[in-house]
Amino acid sequence: MCGEIMIQIEKLTVRLGEFNIRDINLRIGEGEYVVILGPTGAGKSVLLECIAGICIPDSGTVRLRGRDVTRYNPEKRNIGYVPQDYALFPNMTVRQNIGYGLKTRKIPASDIQANVSAMMEQLGITHLEKRLPLKLSGGEKQRAALGRALITEPDILLLDEPLSALDENLRSQLAGELRRIQQRLNRSFLHVCHNFDEAAMVADRIAIMRQGSIEQTGTISEILTKPSSLFIAEFTRTLNFHQGTAETVPGGCRIKTAAGQIIHSAETSAVGPVTFGIRPEELFLTNDDNGSSGVNNLTARVARVLFRPSSLEVELDAGFPLIACHPRNGEFYRKVGEGDVLRVFFRPEAVMVFPGCRGGAG
Amino acid sequence: MSGEKRSDNRLTDTGRFTGVLFPAFFYTAVVLLVLGSCWLFLSNAGELFPKKLAGFHDMDLWRRTGRAGLFAGGFWKDSVFWRSLNVSFVTSTLTAVIAAIVGIPAAYALSRFRIPGRSVIDILFSSVIVLPASSVGLCLIITCQYGIVRKIQDALNVHFAHSVFPGIIMAQLVLSLAMGLSAWKAAFDRVNPRFEHVARSLGSSRWRAFLTVTLPLSRTGLVAGFILAWTRAMAEFGAVLLFCGTFSELPLSHFSPLLKNMHLHQADILPVAMWTAIEYGEVEYGIGIAFALVMISSISIYSIHRMGGKGYVW
Repeated sequence: MCGEIMIQIEKLTVRLGEFNIRDINLRIGEGEYVVILGPTGAGKSVLLECIAGICIPDSGTVRLRGRDVTRYNPEKRNIGYVPQDYALFPNMTVRQNIGYGLKTRKIPASDIQANVSAMMEQLGITHLEKRLPLKLSGGEKQRAALGRALITEPDILLLDEPLSALDENLRSQLAGELRRIQQRLNRSFLHVCHNFDEAAMVADRIAIMRQGSIEQTGTISEILTKPSSLFIAEFTRTLNFHQGTAETVPGGCRIKTAAGQIIHSAETSAVGPVTFGIRPEELFLTNDDNGSSGVNNLTARVARVLFRPSSLEVELDAGFPLIACHPRNGEFYRKVGEGDVLRVFFRPEAVMVFPGCRGGAG
Repeated sequence: MSGEKRSDNRLTDTGRFTGVLFPAFFYTAVVLLVLGSCWLFLSNAGELFPKKLAGFHDMDLWRRTGRAGLFAGGFWKDSVFWRSLNVSFVTSTLTAVIAAIVGIPAAYALSRFRIPGRSVIDILFSSVIVLPASSVGLCLIITCQYGIVRKIQDALNVHFAHSVFPGIIMAQLVLSLAMGLSAWKAAFDRVNPRFEHVARSLGSSRWRAFLTVTLPLSRTGLVAGFILAWTRAMAEFGAVLLFCGTFSELPLSHFSPLLKNMHLHQADILPVAMWTAIEYGEVEYGIGIAFALVMISSISIYSIHRMGGKGYVW
């Protein structure tokens, strides 16, 4: 987290019938881009509405630059809000939409026009000024909505799934643009989404939410390498989950799988029945018998090879199924075919261990 | 990009075809149908209904007033018809205005807030729409003619029943408000509350957000609801008849100077006038009024549908 604390959420609780948001704690620094990531129904949008002032929490506080704004009306908070569908006012042109927030601030009309023109130029939408929202594409709508929210210079901008309605190519293009705008304006952004790739493209930090509470907060690297729970490991696309029995050894633990293989992990606290997982990109393949030695070196037969646009996915049978995923470069990966017998090896640090058994793993 | 433009042009061509030719066919058919119906009705009315209706004692009275000789096609020449239209128009407009003043804020509240018992209010108003209007009139009589409400009226020397103001308006208001409320609530429901949330996050108060965003977006629906409430008030029969009776033969002393100046005395609203005409044996005259009512309702519903074409479907 960088700079001054822009927004601080403490023990925020909202009761919504059977669904509750419980004890949310989150801090966002000035100029920081934080993404709240979670599956549908995790309570992300409700949390965003509480911060915006649309929904009043049952308990807890929302502090903006140290000021308690929990009970403030939305218009008193100076928080920008861009909903999922952008909610551009259909009865106004792009210029009128962007200037709307300034009109409420009783700024002279000439200043409003100048500010709106400058904002439209900055976002590259000057040519759209007389268009109605109905006539805009997804990307144009997004820029107009951003301009409308940013022109009032909010302390923080809340973005509720701003890219979810777009196709994959446009999504990655606009995610990059969002990040560039945020860095250029040096504003704090809080972005909600359910897509890990989208979060990884823009975020300084990620908070993962599940069933109304935040399970883990950290940088992308921290979340990928040290997921705090099996749910987060699964959500961030760790594959190769299997069950076994762990016993402590110096520098980590040794897991005996149901099929009898021995897997070494750097995790020191695991004992008894466990579920372990390995990210597909952490599995290395070689057809050289002397290519690797020591722990976590298994013999496997290639069951299936899938060519993805940017990677090669290899399904292996090592006594238990494994999936390896690598960039499609290098001579070896071009030659790998179904039925080949290979060596699979991976670092003990790449083996994530979670206590207990996962349903369906094995 | 060019592909998109070509596709747009194709759409525009199709739109031009359906936008000009289809309405042209439709309007021609409607105009022919209406003209044909009018011609048939006016030319055959005399033959369809016999001039002499035996057994109606009051026929002589009505003949003496000089109106019995009028057949349906000539109802517009009768001053009583125009007075009835006047009463109907004035009371319906007042009713619709009152319904709008009460109903639009209520509809907004029902659409936007979590009001305790909201479903009960919804069911109550929806059930009023399908309730027989005469039972509404009976309920009004029971409420206003007995107990504390009657005592208050006596004390103030104001009587609701058998009065133009507020009798007819009270009777019209119940169903008109129920109808208007449904339409206005539907109009607000169609406006995404997100627009207001965003407007408020941009610094607008709730009131300003309503005025600048929700109201312009729901305007067509609100106007359609007003027309619907007005039309329902115009067509009200059962409740008015039971609560207010008829006025056409009441002595002049029954009416206030204001009513006399507005020419609202000694005339009934159109549906009651139609019923009175048929009761007194002037079937042609009654049918004439029915024809006028059908035309008024048709024009109202047509204007609502026209608005539907601009983005609002009730």
